[in-house]
Amino acid sequence: MRRRDLLGALGALSVPAGRLRGSRHNLPSGCGCAFAPAAAIPPGSDVFKDVGSKLRITNMQVFGVTLDEKIARSDRPYVFVKLETNQGVVGWGEATLEGKAGAAMACVNDLREFIIGSDPMQSEHLYQLMYIGSFYRGGPVLGSAISGIDQAIWDIRGKVLGMPVYELLGGPVDPQGVRGYYHAQAWTLQEAKELGERTRQAGVTALKFQLPDLLEWIETDRKLKRAVKHMETLREGLGPDLDFAVDFHARPSPTVAAILLREIEPFHLFFAEEICPPENVRAMHRAARKSTTPLATGERLIAAYGFNELIDLGIVDVLQPDSAHVGGITALWKVAAAADAAGIRMAPHACEGPVGGIASLHVDAAIPNFLAQEICGFVEAGPMNRVWEDLTGFPAMRMRNGRYPLPTKPGLGFEVSEPALKRYPFQGTRPFPPAFHEDGSLASL
Amino acid sequence: MRPKIWRDLPAFAPQPASAGRGSIASVHGWRLREPDSGRRYTVLRLETRGGMAGYGEGGPATSAEILEARAAAIGRQPNESEYIRHRLAAVPSMEAAVNNAFLDLQGKATGTPVYQFLGGPTRFKARVLAGLEGETEEALARPLRQAAQQGFRAFTVPIPARDSMWRMQAYVDAVRARIERMRSLAGADLDFVLDAAGKLTPGDAAFVATALERNHLLWFDEPTNVLTHDGLARITDESVMPVGLGRSLHDISVFQDLLRWGAVDLVRPSLALNSLVKIRRMAAIAETHYVAVAPYHDGGPIATAAGIHLAASLPNSFIQQIPFPRSARDASLRAELASGNPETAKDGFTPLVNKPGFGIEVNEKSLDRYSEEKV
Repeated sequence: MRRRDLLGALGALSVPAGRLRGSRHNLPSGCGCAFAPAAAIPPGSDVFKDVGSKLRITNMQVFGVTLDEKIARSDRPYVFVKLETNQGVVGWGEATLEGKAGAAMACVNDLREFIIGSDPMQSEHLYQLMYIGSFYRGGPVLGSAISGIDQAIWDIRGKVLGMPVYELLGGPVDPQGVRGYYHAQAWTLQEAKELGERTRQAGVTALKFQLPDLLEWIETDRKLKRAVKHMETLREGLGPDLDFAVDFHARPSPTVAAILLREIEPFHLFFAEEICPPENVRAMHRAARKSTTPLATGERLIAAYGFNELIDLGIVDVLQPDSAHVGGITALWKVAAAADAAGIRMAPHACEGPVGGIASLHVDAAIPNFLAQEICGFVEAGPMNRVWEDLTGFPAMRMRNGRYPLPTKPGLGFEVSEPALKRYPFQGTRPFPPAFHEDGSLASL
Repeated sequence: MRPKIWRDLPAFAPQPASAGRGSIASVHGWRLREPDSGRRYTVLRLETRGGMAGYGEGGPATSAEILEARAAAIGRQPNESEYIRHRLAAVPSMEAAVNNAFLDLQGKATGTPVYQFLGGPTRFKARVLAGLEGETEEALARPLRQAAQQGFRAFTVPIPARDSMWRMQAYVDAVRARIERMRSLAGADLDFVLDAAGKLTPGDAAFVATALERNHLLWFDEPTNVLTHDGLARITDESVMPVGLGRSLHDISVFQDLLRWGAVDLVRPSLALNSLVKIRRMAAIAETHYVAVAPYHDGGPIATAAGIHLAASLPNSFIQQIPFPRSARDASLRAELASGNPETAKDGFTPLVNKPGFGIEVNEKSLDRYSEEKV
């Protein structure tokens, strides 16, 4: 009903191009950048006037959101994108990029002429316009900017069509929700046992841990033993009924990863993540081919093209695109489709704000090859979760019985509170904190 | 038509600059031999028209090769390393010596250490590896303890020699026992490189590598001299033991092939056969494969100093090997050749020397005294 009403009414209400032009001066944006007024009609869009909807994007705003350093990591102020339409329907997306908030905000605004005056029902065409039409493809800055806009476009599409985004994508596969995992730390057997207890009580089924040391490309007996011992302690303390993954976070080389993977086989990890840096897929294969532990990677890769080689060479078992970097819902779904055909599962990455996480849930719910959804939260809700509730009006990205409940409202299923955004004003870009080895050389953290 | 010979190799040959003060006026070489170890290397002294001297070390060379180096370097500017790299491609020991002497000259001319020329320091100290001498565990024990007392934390250990009557199980047990014995001799937190010096077949190397995986050697060095795709694949298919290769190679493209095959975990170009500018090119390729560089070194102290400057500047250097002489005579010779001895260690690292050029004083009287021949 609602869909008919909206799309039917839009024709009468569509704003003439000339009127739009004047309205685009001095658009508010979190980064305080100044923008030149754009052409009223996005390039290539006039030919769709008889076949598209009358819905038009009339305004785009970018919000930077900085949480207190004690609550959330200072390198990743949230970057939220809000799209407004001539019908009053509003969409939200997230373009947060760790260490590069200013660049992500500026890049969202660079895409403005593609978006203002466009028809948000054309999500695929607009994705192509932003990715291919940009000439320089890929990269995390463009990827994050596209992600923020694309999520907001899907939010609008869902609202206009009157259904949650996962329904537009063919889901839900499991109406009970989406399996998730939290981050956790335990350095002793006792800590691991206590953590296991609390995790079971909370109904959570999987956790993810870090390695104990920074690693060089060739490693010493001491550090190799400590890494293996850490994972042995985790399995012993957590017990056999909890899944645990370990994020290698690209600290080892393939050389060092191969040794660790051979020795941790008996601990049966959920998966080992980013076993080496992400640029050279064939180099990763040097270690991957020795592993019986499932391997996961992908948080730093952009668009379906970024995953193509990994999938075609069959190098990993699990892919982890981040809906706030990979290119939003459009790109995340495409990666999932290619992975599904190759028997690879999806455990999307999310370590930014709540909007990207929720956008990811919608894709998760609709893909048959889904494994688990990450969120950078802990078994016990903390101050960050209270901020997220303030921002979204509900306990965003908190599991119940090991699953994130599926949103039921149309679109992404929630509204970002603008009064709440004002409570966490943007404090500027802060870099990703680097790490250094004993001799002062740069380490992969 | 003039036949193509290796002298025509350079793709470009800049005209020698006309008699600038910086151009090379003389080239002299010393062919050195350590009395007890028998280790050989060559030191070149390049002097500019302005009277500035730079030193570079390369591997063993004949007097004819030193003359070739002289012919290549005379009249050149010390910044023409790319020309020299091509011009002396067929005389790798002299490519190393001339181009390193060029770097020493450039550093001295500008008053900066060589590591500043090579991209600036990426670390404030360089990890070092003591290259132990000795065939048996008894012979290795004393130098191992000495090196550990002097601050080394990582050591090469030669693989036991293997004759035709060794049974495979007995051999693998003997190799493992040697590593465990060495580890027990000098205390905790020490690391070892097993040096096979290219003596094993790929199949035997794979067998040993797999059997010793849990001993956590830093790496298995030069397990075989069969550097073919299939030969090396036998080792890397079966084992997760890190493999270091390349001490006899001096062609960048061959290293690139090893990396493309995924056959190598640590790139080991020798300082005897490759200048720092050449190893930098290999390192740049290795970096994109997440592979580190640790130059092989079984030469003299001037090359050690050069190696430390390289290690200081490379993002992916792991360790610099330093020969650790068993005999006191050899040790004092090395200390005499280069004052400001670069061959020291503290907690496994050596400090960088913030002085112009390679930051050492070369003692020419000692060069004269220990050389078999001066050219």
